[in-house]
Amino acid sequence: MSEIAGAPGAADPAGGPEPTTTERKTSEVLHFAVRNPKLLIGLGIVLSLLLLGIFGPFFIDQDPNEYVGPKSQPPNGEYWFGTTSFGQDVWAQFVYGLRSTFLIGAFGGGVAFVIGTTVGFVAGYKGGIVDEILNMLTNVVLVLPALVVLIVITAYLEVRGVFIQGVFIGLTSWPWAARAVRSQALSLATRDYVDLARLSGRRTWRIITTEIAPNMSSYLVMSFILLFGGSILIAAGLDFIGLGPSNGVSLGLMLESAMKWSSLYLGMWWWFIPPGLGITMIVGSLYILNVGLDEVFNPKLREL
Amino acid sequence: MWRYIGRKLFVYLLTFVIAVTINWMIPRFMPGDPVRSMLSRASVGNPEALERMNEYYTGVFGLDTPLHEQYLSFWAGLFRGDLGISVMLFPQPVLDIILRSVPYTLALLVPAILLSWIVGNRIGAFAARKKLLDNTILPVGYILTAMPYMWLALLLAWSLGIVADVLPTANGYSPSLRPEFSWLFISSLISHWFLPFLSMFIVALGGWAIGMRNMIIYELEADYSNYLQALGAPTRLIRRYAFRNAMLPQITGLAVQLGTVLSGALLTEIVFNYPGLGTLILQALNNRDFFVLQGTFLFVVVGVLIANFIIDIVYVLVDPRTRVQMTGGAA
Amino acid sequence: MRSLRLPAALAALTLAVTACAGGGGGNGEGSGEYPRNETLYTTGTAWGPPANWNPFMQGQYAVGTVGLAYEPLFLFDPNTSEYVPWLAESHSWPEENVHEIVLREGITWSDGEAFDSADVVSTLEIGQFGSVPFSNLWNFIEGVEAVDAQTVRVTFSENRPQEWMNWVYSHPIAPEHIWAEKTEEQVMSDVNEDPVGTGPYVYESHTDERLVWERKDDWWGTDALDYEMKPRYIVDLVNASNDITLGMLQQGEVDLSNNFLPGIDQIINGNEAITSYYDGPPYMQAANTAWLVPNTTKEPLNDPEFRQALAHSIDMQSIIEGPYTNLVEAASPTGLLPLWDEYIDHDLVAEEGFSFNADRAVEILEDAGYQDQDGDGYVETPDGDPIALTLEVPAGWTDWMEASNVIASNAQAVGINVEAQTPEFDLLVDNRNSGEFDLVINNERGASNTPWTYYDYLFQLPLNEQQTTVNFGRYENEEAWELVEQLAAVPADDVEAAAEITSQIQEIQLAELPAIPLWYNGMWSQANNTYWTNWPSDAEGAPKSYATLWNGMWQLGAITTLATIEPAGE
Repeated sequence: MSEIAGAPGAADPAGGPEPTTTERKTSEVLHFAVRNPKLLIGLGIVLSLLLLGIFGPFFIDQDPNEYVGPKSQPPNGEYWFGTTSFGQDVWAQFVYGLRSTFLIGAFGGGVAFVIGTTVGFVAGYKGGIVDEILNMLTNVVLVLPALVVLIVITAYLEVRGVFIQGVFIGLTSWPWAARAVRSQALSLATRDYVDLARLSGRRTWRIITTEIAPNMSSYLVMSFILLFGGSILIAAGLDFIGLGPSNGVSLGLMLESAMKWSSLYLGMWWWFIPPGLGITMIVGSLYILNVGLDEVFNPKLREL
Repeated sequence: MWRYIGRKLFVYLLTFVIAVTINWMIPRFMPGDPVRSMLSRASVGNPEALERMNEYYTGVFGLDTPLHEQYLSFWAGLFRGDLGISVMLFPQPVLDIILRSVPYTLALLVPAILLSWIVGNRIGAFAARKKLLDNTILPVGYILTAMPYMWLALLLAWSLGIVADVLPTANGYSPSLRPEFSWLFISSLISHWFLPFLSMFIVALGGWAIGMRNMIIYELEADYSNYLQALGAPTRLIRRYAFRNAMLPQITGLAVQLGTVLSGALLTEIVFNYPGLGTLILQALNNRDFFVLQGTFLFVVVGVLIANFIIDIVYVLVDPRTRVQMTGGAA
Repeated sequence: MRSLRLPAALAALTLAVTACAGGGGGNGEGSGEYPRNETLYTTGTAWGPPANWNPFMQGQYAVGTVGLAYEPLFLFDPNTSEYVPWLAESHSWPEENVHEIVLREGITWSDGEAFDSADVVSTLEIGQFGSVPFSNLWNFIEGVEAVDAQTVRVTFSENRPQEWMNWVYSHPIAPEHIWAEKTEEQVMSDVNEDPVGTGPYVYESHTDERLVWERKDDWWGTDALDYEMKPRYIVDLVNASNDITLGMLQQGEVDLSNNFLPGIDQIINGNEAITSYYDGPPYMQAANTAWLVPNTTKEPLNDPEFRQALAHSIDMQSIIEGPYTNLVEAASPTGLLPLWDEYIDHDLVAEEGFSFNADRAVEILEDAGYQDQDGDGYVETPDGDPIALTLEVPAGWTDWMEASNVIASNAQAVGINVEAQTPEFDLLVDNRNSGEFDLVINNERGASNTPWTYYDYLFQLPLNEQQTTVNFGRYENEEAWELVEQLAAVPADDVEAAAEITSQIQEIQLAELPAIPLWYNGMWSQANNTYWTNWPSDAEGAPKSYATLWNGMWQLGAITTLATIEPAGE
């Protein structure tokens, strides 16, 4: 679920951004950023949910899975999101679930980002046989359906945790980022200033980190955001099938137990709507935030 | 062009080999004893029968032979179309079980992918024309793509199936019918198919609409568009060019999206207890039937590879430029 | 969008064609629909697609194989504690070690062959194959002979009537002309599609999602027993999720569900059409006992006083009201099911039985020398070693997971450090069988003709390296086991003699608590009355049989439920 068709940044035919004086660029970007409603709205929603996920649990005394109140209560003043059929507080689960959802997004997305950009940079910069091999690898992983691979792998695990889930998600969802980064790096690698750096005898890794990466930083940020959202969706899918972390709390697990305990047919909409809505809001606003960023960084799109 | 296709074929072949290898490796290198953990879930009351199944599966895994021999015999079995024998449906061959589920999954996937692609592209192209429209369609599209497949499925099952009570929410057809070629049975199939299809269609729709909208905007900002505009060409013409050029990346997008839509189909099936591969995977998981699980995995990979290949060929046919490009070397 | 019409039409066509091709053909009967008012839809028993119809593959055969197709010699009626003649007409014990069974005349197999004593003899003889589940019978059977076409005589080398009668009512007879020829391998692996039995139903068809049985109209029982099976078809659906089952039950797509459906109490109370055995809590009859099994080889669980304290700490009511929403009842301190009430020594229970009392638990701990010496809130052993126990239940068994959390926090409240864990099922089975656990919950023995099955489960000796079915707690008490062996030898109908022995066993049991009885798991059974009515219930005049398709329950009288239900609107 990491590959969003034609997602902004994923297939940027407009070519690499021009290297410009950093200062001027920064102020210019800021100028447009504060005037871009997509960016502001997306960022606003993501940040408020993030803050809720980080600080919300501190205001909840009990364990989110504990039975605290009356059973099957619709939302009310005391239990804002109602209670489950065991008397668990849906709001508490939601807040904790947000936290772990951000965690898996950051972690799974992070792993994928590191692998993807590394492969992309090395392939794009080195070229030749290294490129051939890495490109082949990327294509192979790209074709494998990530969720199915993950199901088969995690089915064999005896103990499942957030950490291991993140690693596996990262390992399967990096390829399109590698592809995108590679094509960018490919065009930047032939620029004069990179040639200059190469002539001056600097090491490959330093050239990549000091000359190439900074010039496509906007691009990298956007890739990370997409990987972040993708990881959240994959993790939710795994959780829903029952392959989520044992004993954990997450929005996907909430959906699983809502379905398992018949919330649909018992009419307990307050149980299955919040977790799905939470995921949709996080991922959706990340995407919208991304379009905003694209418009800010890419001058050609600003007029629209 | 041949070189392009050959190259693609090579990648797919490689992918297949790797997938098979992963499949072979997982039960052998994961911690724990796969045979025992499978059989403990099989709820076989009597120890002798358990022993017999144990013997069979240990034999199948060939755990007593050297690794490279195990690997080769695994491949040999594969070429005979032998995916092993199911634990939960012992002694039925895994392949038979999978083949019974495939039609249902295809019946969801193929229409959902094709229709959402066609409709999504239209909507996206439409949206790119007007700012007002764009401002409503864009967020809606993003929210749709951001939706977990199973959540939309739950919402539809709840609203249309339970609250409004207009469509069935479970199974592939009504349990009161015998499978046969009659209008009664077919209409039952269609009514049970509709909700899972609809929920997949809607989620996929958003992605295509956004993709197309973005592509068109990029195309409209491209040099050739500006040039045409400067020449005073009618806007309609420019848009038509833009639409055509934007179609090509959307075809590639189709290939890239396959895995995602497929995952979505599996999750959607589970919500609706639709008797396709997704429900089969869940049953295999619940019964610890690793043979069915891994057989399904291989089957799905092969399916995705074939679909990719078909898309590649379509791409070549639609875009003559590929020949030139591909001989140039960039993939 | 004109262009959409063609693809839509194409899609619909492909779908119809592919799905029909996948679904397979019908069986040739005119109408494609099972007539609703003659068909009983059930679910809740099959956890996977139907795979075989082999009566010897216990635990694997499809729903109804034994019960609907194959029948036993007797049923056991739990309400009267009597053996009801079924394929047999009568039986007697001419000598203490000889059991003579007279068969009914005029019974035929579904392929037309006559049923006679040779079938009974051959079925028992198949048990001489080591891999047949009841091969242990031949440890105490000396010989089986067909005296004449209707009479079978079984001679025993050792008297174990309770165990023997358990076989007599729970195992079905298979036709000699089909099974006698088979090798051991064939007996234990034959899929046996289209089973030939004596029962009231025959196999009709199956898919991965369901199994259909069709009534055999010339079934012997219609005349001989005056039981007329009402449903013409029984369609048993493989379990879907709780959610979907509940939906189908409410919408009348399923008539009977035998699955634990959380929240069903709300539906029973709110929807007139949905009923269960009792109108109010616990709604369901008891099917088996859930035990908290301590590993009695480990310190401090090897100390009966410590086990007592643990038992007193558990607030069963909060488990029953919490995860089970009053769908179960607390178990008797003896753990015996309500149907064995005659075997419970009530005076003894009143005196010695435990009940929830946190203060008492603390007291017991103190008296036995368990004290919190380091001030961490948890007691240590009298030697001062810290105690940290884990309670394992299988991952995904949500009701048990919730219950184990309650137990853990109850125990912590009195100072016993228990932590609930949820390993994968197979890992738990490994740990449990090899004795590498502290506490587990288990309910693997259910209702039967004799409490002997429960005591066998609790006390069986000697211990093996792997305890796969009984005595998971590895409790060693020669005296108790000796009593259980005595119980096995009591004549099957002598309740008084049996109760005398069970009372002695209970004295040991209540003092020692080899396992702590928790609650009775329900015989989950909820029916929709839209198409079929007169379901068993505790109301006056209603049938009292079990309404379930669970394996093993047909022989406890559930088969008669099919004859007592009535089509609605008549």
